[in-house]
Amino acid sequence: MNETRRDFLRNSGCALTMTALASQIQHFGMLNTLAQKTRDTSSAAPPSDYRALVCIYFSGGNDGNNTVIPNHSDATVSGYAAYAAGRSAQGLALPQNTLLPVSVPRIGGLSYGLHPGFGTITGGVNAGLHPLWAQGKMAMVTNVGTLVKPLTRLEYQNHPEWRPRQLFSHSDQTNQHMNARADVMMLSGWGGRISDRMTLSANPDRLVPTVNSLQGGRLFTVGETTQPLSIGAAPAPLSSILALTGYNGSPIANARLAALEAQLNAEQGQDLVHASNEIHREAIRISRSLNDGAEVTAVFPNTELGNQLKQVARMIKARGALHITRQIFFVSIDGFDTHTGQLIGQAGLLGRFSQASRAFFDEMTAQGLADKVTQFTITDFNRTFNPGGSGANVGSDHAWANHQFIIGGSVLGGDFYGMNTTNGTPFPTLVQNGPDDSDTSNARGRWIPTTSVEQYAGTLAKWFGLEAVDVPYVFPNMANFPVTDLGFMTP
Amino acid sequence: MKFSFRKLYLFPFFAAIFTVGVFAQEDQNPNSPTPGLLSSADRSRVLAVNTRAWDGGIPSSGGLVFRPSRTNQITVFVSNLQLMPGEEANSVRLYLTQRSGKSFELQIDQLIPVSKGVHALQFRLWDPLGYRGQPVADGDSLINLTWRGLTSNVLKIGLGSTGGNIKIPTVPTPATSSTNGPTGEAIGYLYAGDRIRFLEQAAFGPSTAADQRLRRIGLRTWLAEQFEAPYPTTPYPAFPQTATTPATTCTLMTNPTCFRDHYTMIPLQKWFFTEAFYGNAPLRHRMAWALGQIFVTSGVSVQQSSHAVAYHKILSRDAFGNYRELLNDVTMSPTMGFYLDMARSTKLNPNENYPREIMQLFSIGLVMLNPDGTPRLDQQGQAIPTYDQEDVNELSKVFTGWTFCNFTCPNSTNGIINYKDPMVLIPENHDLGPKSLLNYPGAQETSIPACTDCTDNEHIKTYAQDSLNRALNNIFHHPNVGPFIGKLLIQHLVTSDPSPAYVGRVAAVFNDNGAGTRGDLKAVIRAILLDPEARGDIKTAPRYGKLREPVQLITNLARIFPAKDYFGESPSDGALASYVAQLGQDPFNSPTVFNYFSPDFIVPGTMIRAPEFELLNTGYAVKRTNFLHTFIFEGVTANATDSLRGTSLDVSEYVPASTADPSGTQLLDLLNARMMHGAMVQAQRDAILTAVQAVPSSNPSLRIRTAAYLIAASSQYQIQR
Repeated sequence: MNETRRDFLRNSGCALTMTALASQIQHFGMLNTLAQKTRDTSSAAPPSDYRALVCIYFSGGNDGNNTVIPNHSDATVSGYAAYAAGRSAQGLALPQNTLLPVSVPRIGGLSYGLHPGFGTITGGVNAGLHPLWAQGKMAMVTNVGTLVKPLTRLEYQNHPEWRPRQLFSHSDQTNQHMNARADVMMLSGWGGRISDRMTLSANPDRLVPTVNSLQGGRLFTVGETTQPLSIGAAPAPLSSILALTGYNGSPIANARLAALEAQLNAEQGQDLVHASNEIHREAIRISRSLNDGAEVTAVFPNTELGNQLKQVARMIKARGALHITRQIFFVSIDGFDTHTGQLIGQAGLLGRFSQASRAFFDEMTAQGLADKVTQFTITDFNRTFNPGGSGANVGSDHAWANHQFIIGGSVLGGDFYGMNTTNGTPFPTLVQNGPDDSDTSNARGRWIPTTSVEQYAGTLAKWFGLEAVDVPYVFPNMANFPVTDLGFMTP
Repeated sequence: MKFSFRKLYLFPFFAAIFTVGVFAQEDQNPNSPTPGLLSSADRSRVLAVNTRAWDGGIPSSGGLVFRPSRTNQITVFVSNLQLMPGEEANSVRLYLTQRSGKSFELQIDQLIPVSKGVHALQFRLWDPLGYRGQPVADGDSLINLTWRGLTSNVLKIGLGSTGGNIKIPTVPTPATSSTNGPTGEAIGYLYAGDRIRFLEQAAFGPSTAADQRLRRIGLRTWLAEQFEAPYPTTPYPAFPQTATTPATTCTLMTNPTCFRDHYTMIPLQKWFFTEAFYGNAPLRHRMAWALGQIFVTSGVSVQQSSHAVAYHKILSRDAFGNYRELLNDVTMSPTMGFYLDMARSTKLNPNENYPREIMQLFSIGLVMLNPDGTPRLDQQGQAIPTYDQEDVNELSKVFTGWTFCNFTCPNSTNGIINYKDPMVLIPENHDLGPKSLLNYPGAQETSIPACTDCTDNEHIKTYAQDSLNRALNNIFHHPNVGPFIGKLLIQHLVTSDPSPAYVGRVAAVFNDNGAGTRGDLKAVIRAILLDPEARGDIKTAPRYGKLREPVQLITNLARIFPAKDYFGESPSDGALASYVAQLGQDPFNSPTVFNYFSPDFIVPGTMIRAPEFELLNTGYAVKRTNFLHTFIFEGVTANATDSLRGTSLDVSEYVPASTADPSGTQLLDLLNARMMHGAMVQAQRDAILTAVQAVPSSNPSLRIRTAAYLIAASSQYQIQR
């Protein structure tokens, strides 16, 4: 922590206002409240309230550099001019007058701009996410990414062994976001490991697992000792998604059903057969608990993500019948690997995200759960600041630190969070081969993260109820980072 | 089997594997002997000694308790391993299962012949991967070894202490054995179980005709025949490439049929299933399908059926050629050029997408490999990356300037982007500076000098072509390619987690086909499909085999029960893609370049490597079962838009067996042989027989469909073993 604090003080000279300083100190202050509390899980009663985390995965690596953009002219912390200088020649810079402004107290109230897809869009069903910023229901953690430990640019250059494994590779970087560990491969994700630690205490009478995936058994959802439920998206009703068809109650059908279930247990020492049977048995067991309740009331967009989040909302509405008080959901939206054709592609994707996420937020509000359910985003990596291609084909390549959204009534919204970069703010310096770029030769702007996945995820996990004693199990490398609560959630 | 060394006189199977081009060779007995772990006197405990205390012979008694550690070496004794030349310790895998339910694959050091029929196996109670921790001193644990897809007996071994109440599981026993081995068949390739297994691996499933042909001519001749068989049997869809912006007469609104045929993957999908159901060159079709899941392009961004057809033609043509040619043709393919952006990469804006993925996915992978496909480790025990960002940047420069041939090629048409002819160079877009290439042990050339004579377009074109050849050669000769590509192909055709020895044998053939040629894919296919780890009437290793991906779940059934149209009269039109898409595998529409599933996928909560399980979860499990109900009992209905005929399964071939025997026994025997190569276990057979008997024997079709549905829906069937 000392070094980080020193860096912060050293760099805080001109650019930082007192607001930002207070904000940073406040974040450190939260460190002290973390921690010492231990518990006896065996005797703890299940929580009386409900909480859920909803992980929204942007598959392919969202270009964060075009998601949130400086909308000011303060050159000491990379203003719009620095952004345009890096991107306009090839036609990837968004015009400043199209940005949706957000004020950032952490950086002295300077204005940043969200991609226009976060506002009202053609064919949309709501006003999008942008208004939630001013309402304090949405925050961003900026310049966050995979890290083994805090890493300066010099350390990055001189110590390849301190780098995350296989930087810039889709599969590896995605996995590291999902398992919250960048030095060695783990076969479980942090959502799954939270479930390992909390399922027995929080959901003792559960009829469904703690983790529910709308996108299969992605690593985030997989625990060491607990496994997720995979279900299909709306419009399929909850009652249908795990129901066997073709059984009408006739004697012939009943005999067939008996055989179907009996042969699930007719296995002998075959690991693959056993693994498959386990999944089929779980599906049949859980299908008996999934019934249709009252339909959700918010209007969801009829998109893949919209239908996934709609199904999540139905599950949440059925939480009482499913005897569950702590839930983690995984949904995803694909297509962010915009090496080319990015302007149109990313606009469509962010618009779909904004619409679906806003509809979900509104539905949670309608269910009276706005402050009990928190959405957050992850993605493979950021994309290069320096574009690839030009004109209609313009896109960007694989990079590193990115910006993530947190949305919900318990979010201390309307601000940036995370550790400061070299410019004394949590936003990177938008200069190729500059102080925050991991590239040197042929430098294209791949920002070195200042905040780790662990810090981002750990803040969410703490709000969710993960006890300090369980943090090392869920986040084995958390001890490498000086701040374990970034402060963006209501304590 | 404990102390009695039952001698199995088997033909030495192998001579042929490393010999190329000799099609007249006899197929030998495909069955390897079952390995046995020698037990101590009480017959439930493995005979084991600390290696330090081992005197080189077979001890009369062993230690009771062993300490798990990274360094402590232990020796056990294995009977019945009949090793071929070059087959060493990496052909054997040793598994430990503890009371916690955790299982570990233990580090094996050496395999030493001790006496006739017995080898000493030296290992450590240590899991080199350690993804789920390490074995602990937890009392009696279970140990078994596997070799060539066969498991030994399972015995106890005390870790730290004995006791703790762990039960030795029973080994699978097939319900009937009549189909295993040559019993009852007089001539030809008599191994009925192996024939079925072979057709599941080398084709899209075992039709009766294919099975009979295989029996008549044997595996090697069948392969030789397939290498020459005309392909495709059903002509490729021939819709012409057309403008990127659909004409007003061919939009989704104005003319959905025109739009579907030109601007979606549907024609290719229908053709694909038709060819899988009825084609006479299934090996090439199967290889092209496997290659398409390694060298992925996808209709998610590839726009037209004609573009995807042009790409599939490359894969199917090069499937029996040389990998170097395949690498070149894929790189120069405009479809790939579009999909991974090489067609838009210029010297001012070099694109990193193709350079990165050609290395990560199409050739060498992320980490340095040993010849048997296991990761090479540095002195700290860490994997060694094959390349870094700088290498990607350098390779990007080599690939700049290539794009669609819209003006001067045979298929160039005014106003239409040409996805048929290989890409061509735009000289002013090519980087003329020096580039470095991958520097690996044995690399012949590690750089490309700057162009010195690029004074005109012709010189630049020559330079760019030469640079491309050098860069592809540099990749092609990387020692990783054989084990990397070999293992992927094994996973797609045979088994998800092949032994390192199997990968090593295939990689060796990739490296040299016996005549000094590297990259001969025919030789690689032969090596994969004729390997003793692939062959045999029955495999017993717990992790052997692979989950049938949705496409093959369907095609196998459609070969066993010949696919017809919905009315059972004419052939199916192959319109099944929308159904498999519901199971997670939309053909020719992979979600990303990483395919539908990762070759490294581990079944959640286990240590089992099983790529296709990425498409099996609670949601998909139910959808599989429900689709099978539709497919087998009802058929897939025809509709007015993309399927005028629909698909159903014809069970008439099985009616005689059903009517001849009201007890259902004959029917089950036949289906066991055809669907499960005779490996059905008794408990499953009993369950199905009960359900079959609930159907009146006067309704043979319903009896057959009931049995077929239950088998198809069972995990025992869905795991191709």
